[in-house]
Amino acid sequence: MSAPTTTRAPGLARTGARTPPAPPKRSWLHDPWRKPRVLESITWVYIAWSLLPVLLAIFMSFSSGRSNSTFQGPLTLQYWTGTGFEGDGASLFRDPDLRSAIRQTFTLSFVTMAIAVPLGVAFAIGLDRWRGRPASGSNVLMLMSFVVPEIILGVTALYVVLYLFTFIPLGTPAQVMALVTFQMSYPVIIVRARLLSIGKEYEEAAMDLGAPPKQSITRVLLPLLMPAILASFAIVFADTIDDFVTVAYLSGAAESQTLSMKIYTQTRGAPTPAVNAAATFMLISTTLVITLGYLAYRRFSRGQSDTGVGGFASQV
Amino acid sequence: MAHPRERRPGSGLSRREFLMRSLGAAVALPSASAILAACSKPGEGTTGSASTVGTGGVDLGGPYPIATADNPVTWTIYDDVPPIADGLKIEEGATLQLYNWDQYIWKKQVEKFCEGVGCDYKITTFQNMDEALTKIRTGELKFDIFFPTTDTFGKLVSAKLMQPLNHSYLDHLEENVWPQLISPYYDQGSRYSVPYVVYTTGVAYRRNVVKDQDIYGMSNPFDILFDPAHKGRSGVYDSYRDTMAMSLLHLGNEDVNTDKQADIDAVEADLIGMIDAVDVRYSINGAYKLLPENQYDVHLSWSGDIAAGWFYVSKDTAYEDLGYWFPEDRRGMIGSDTMVIPTTAEHPVLAHEFLNFMLSFPAAMDNFAWVGYQPPQNDADPDTLTTTKSVWGEPYIFPWMEAAVVRKEDFERGLPQWELTPDVDDMWHDAWQNFRAGAK
Amino acid sequence: MRSSDALEPTKAERRRAERAAANETGIWYPRGYWKRFAAPGTLWMLLFFLVPFYVIVSVAFGTVDPVFRSPLPVYQPWWWTFDAAAEAVGKIFGPFRETYIRTFTFVVVASGICLVLGYSVAYYVARFGGRRRTLFLILLISPFWISYLMRMLAWRSLLTEDGYVNGILSGVGLPVVGWLEGKPVTVILGLVYGYIPYMILPLYGFLDRIDGALLEAGRDLGASPRQTFWKVTLPLSKPAIAAALVIVSLPMFGDYYTNNMLSNSPRTTMIGNILDDSVNTSGQGPEAAVFTLVLMVMLLIPMLYYLRSTARELARR
Repeated sequence: MSAPTTTRAPGLARTGARTPPAPPKRSWLHDPWRKPRVLESITWVYIAWSLLPVLLAIFMSFSSGRSNSTFQGPLTLQYWTGTGFEGDGASLFRDPDLRSAIRQTFTLSFVTMAIAVPLGVAFAIGLDRWRGRPASGSNVLMLMSFVVPEIILGVTALYVVLYLFTFIPLGTPAQVMALVTFQMSYPVIIVRARLLSIGKEYEEAAMDLGAPPKQSITRVLLPLLMPAILASFAIVFADTIDDFVTVAYLSGAAESQTLSMKIYTQTRGAPTPAVNAAATFMLISTTLVITLGYLAYRRFSRGQSDTGVGGFASQV
Repeated sequence: MAHPRERRPGSGLSRREFLMRSLGAAVALPSASAILAACSKPGEGTTGSASTVGTGGVDLGGPYPIATADNPVTWTIYDDVPPIADGLKIEEGATLQLYNWDQYIWKKQVEKFCEGVGCDYKITTFQNMDEALTKIRTGELKFDIFFPTTDTFGKLVSAKLMQPLNHSYLDHLEENVWPQLISPYYDQGSRYSVPYVVYTTGVAYRRNVVKDQDIYGMSNPFDILFDPAHKGRSGVYDSYRDTMAMSLLHLGNEDVNTDKQADIDAVEADLIGMIDAVDVRYSINGAYKLLPENQYDVHLSWSGDIAAGWFYVSKDTAYEDLGYWFPEDRRGMIGSDTMVIPTTAEHPVLAHEFLNFMLSFPAAMDNFAWVGYQPPQNDADPDTLTTTKSVWGEPYIFPWMEAAVVRKEDFERGLPQWELTPDVDDMWHDAWQNFRAGAK
Repeated sequence: MRSSDALEPTKAERRRAERAAANETGIWYPRGYWKRFAAPGTLWMLLFFLVPFYVIVSVAFGTVDPVFRSPLPVYQPWWWTFDAAAEAVGKIFGPFRETYIRTFTFVVVASGICLVLGYSVAYYVARFGGRRRTLFLILLISPFWISYLMRMLAWRSLLTEDGYVNGILSGVGLPVVGWLEGKPVTVILGLVYGYIPYMILPLYGFLDRIDGALLEAGRDLGASPRQTFWKVTLPLSKPAIAAALVIVSLPMFGDYYTNNMLSNSPRTTMIGNILDDSVNTSGQGPEAAVFTLVLMVMLLIPMLYYLRSTARELARR
């Protein structure tokens, strides 16, 4: 048979072998073994439609003008570190409002990540091994929190903080509480999927070799789960940076406003390219975090199956 | 449930806080008040009659008296919310917490004040009065200065959410402010508030699309917001009182504080008719930003919004393209906004000093130049506002929108918006919600 | 098998007994071990997810403060009043009926577009991605970490009167359109733009894992690529499509910010907007709670379907 060709994909291995050796060059349109041109064009058009506006928005943050819908040259950093439009001080890193918003965004992300992931991992391990009614009840609760529209989560959390758990003040504590509640489902889903693919052999082997339960968990299970755990950290962090509805409902004074809230209120008010700068900054942070998470994931899943972006993506 | 008061600056724990701590905050128990309330159905029980909240005004059977221009109200000063003492020193190293509408105060002025006094500042914003009241009511947020509209005082006083002012710190009030606003009908004796800005509500329009004579010549200029010729380019405020009052005036009804269901039903039908007639949209920044950016041709507008519109003009809009209409007999909507100090303020002395600063002529006028809203300063002759250049080098109000200037006499002929009793407020809100939902 | 020597005899005996019995996990962990793992998470969920729903019910059937009209939840069921709730439900069939119908329409149309577009892209990348697969995946995943708000902001900036979309239109000779003037089209396209990544990724995950043998069987039996698609791939994808549709459409029902950022007109108000407004309006706390409950009930069936299909999926794997 001929050597595999470039159209090889897992699961479709042998179709590539059907390609005749060295076919005569035909035009792209008439090549019968072409990739479907309609689908290909749709895909590229979709990608362009999906990403070009964002690239433009990033570009707009370097505009000299006041409007954030038409670019005005020359390129400038005035909305990033400079003095804003005509010196009114409204740039991302100088404006005290935006700076406090940046601070709050990262605070929430770190705290939520630090609470949600351990809780979620423990929950996942417990749910996976524990059978019975209460287990599936917890499972249902957790999945529901994942799928329920965020406004419902925001409203219920707001009412519970205002009227029942009044010792939780509005602002960061309330925001963390609500964020952890629905972010916990990400680590649970990711870790459970991973647990399924790991199976029980390794722990059984450890037990056979005489390890007590605690060591079996810490020395065997957790390291095996490390890729999933790291992916969870990255995803929870990134998702919290972008969160808007929950954070807005449970915000208190100015200190608890995040960048996403600022983007929303300013877009409805009088947006300047500083808003674009803020959004771009969020984007850069999230990209960094995801990249770090992915690199850590790869490092920890060396030698295991489904490494690579596909594996990372299928965890999501 | 008790009112969430008792956060006087420097006092000890509130009753709720004390009970909470003794029960152990870590235990997720319902708040102690909820347990206590289990003995009686919530919502029932005495709230005090209207007269305990204030004297004067009109008693419409609600929990607070209604202040009207003919029936002014003197609000009660409660024993458990006294004003601060005289001659106190300003708190050191404080952060002044302002709670205001978005873009409603020039940060440079606040900075200037803070530099002079040695403090930091933080501005939290709200989108509408309902949201602001809800957040203040929780008692958890400690703002030093709040900017309420005048139709909320009944609620604020009855819930003890503001503290009475000590006028020994506010010498600029008597010196600089218009006489009729030193002891206004909504707060006789300025016990709780000082005036911030005054404004009228009319129609902003693009003068290159609508000629001055056209709109001024109309028998009912509010019709222009309903004119299909401006389909898709007509806007109203996302504010129920202002837009519904506009509709009342459009229907020829001057009672902008009506409590009659029939009137409100007519308003609802009128506004819903607007949806199909002109594809109406609502916004808060429509007049000061979107109209100058050429996204609207006509928009309901406060005088200060269009006066500040020149900041936001798009490339193809000239300052002369912005116009403002208000009834020539000055019998239209007029109002003022105020500054108050909430009960939970952590720096009341600083807050008093800030109020006094904002009442001084230079600060008030510079703020005017940025915000567009006119302060009721004696030294600002209304006849000169269209010619005097502000700190930006442009007149405070451009000559071609002279109707945006507010004069003392306007308060005698104008139609202010008073507070509504809670059930009437519900009626208004219901109609507004139906309009917003695009009901048919 | 021996347990570790450090254990006391009683514990060891217990463990031996447990080992002897048919143990749940097949691994020799003590009984109830896993419950301790799941306990903190379960407790959190109970306290901060389940209890709030009871609070919502208490607010819906509670009363309001006489002065501020702020909600007063009534936790004791025997004091619940149903007037406010009845009024609110009446409103849903009265003045708000239009809004509910409109939201359904928007969601159905937007989900439909997401499905057609998303399936095509997922299919292409899964089957024909080839060497560029990683690149495609990165490009497709990236909207997940670009904040929804930023994408709406970007989209909105393009649609302004003097934005680039109108610039292109007028450049080609077509009339300029007022996109942000309260057009349902804009909101629907905004919803598609915002939520389509949630459609593509699960579909890609599924299509990627389709057993190649099935497709080849189709080929071997003489089916053309198109027939293979319609008769093999598509029927196999049905559960994945259903799950993806649920993931995409459920958040749309609660969406209010898309409308607020792109339209702001009574013509395009959605259920989320009604909910958001009533939460922020004094006196309408019980109404807001009722609307929340109604929304939950409406979405319960699709939610349960999604839960069951996920559980089935996990069981299968």
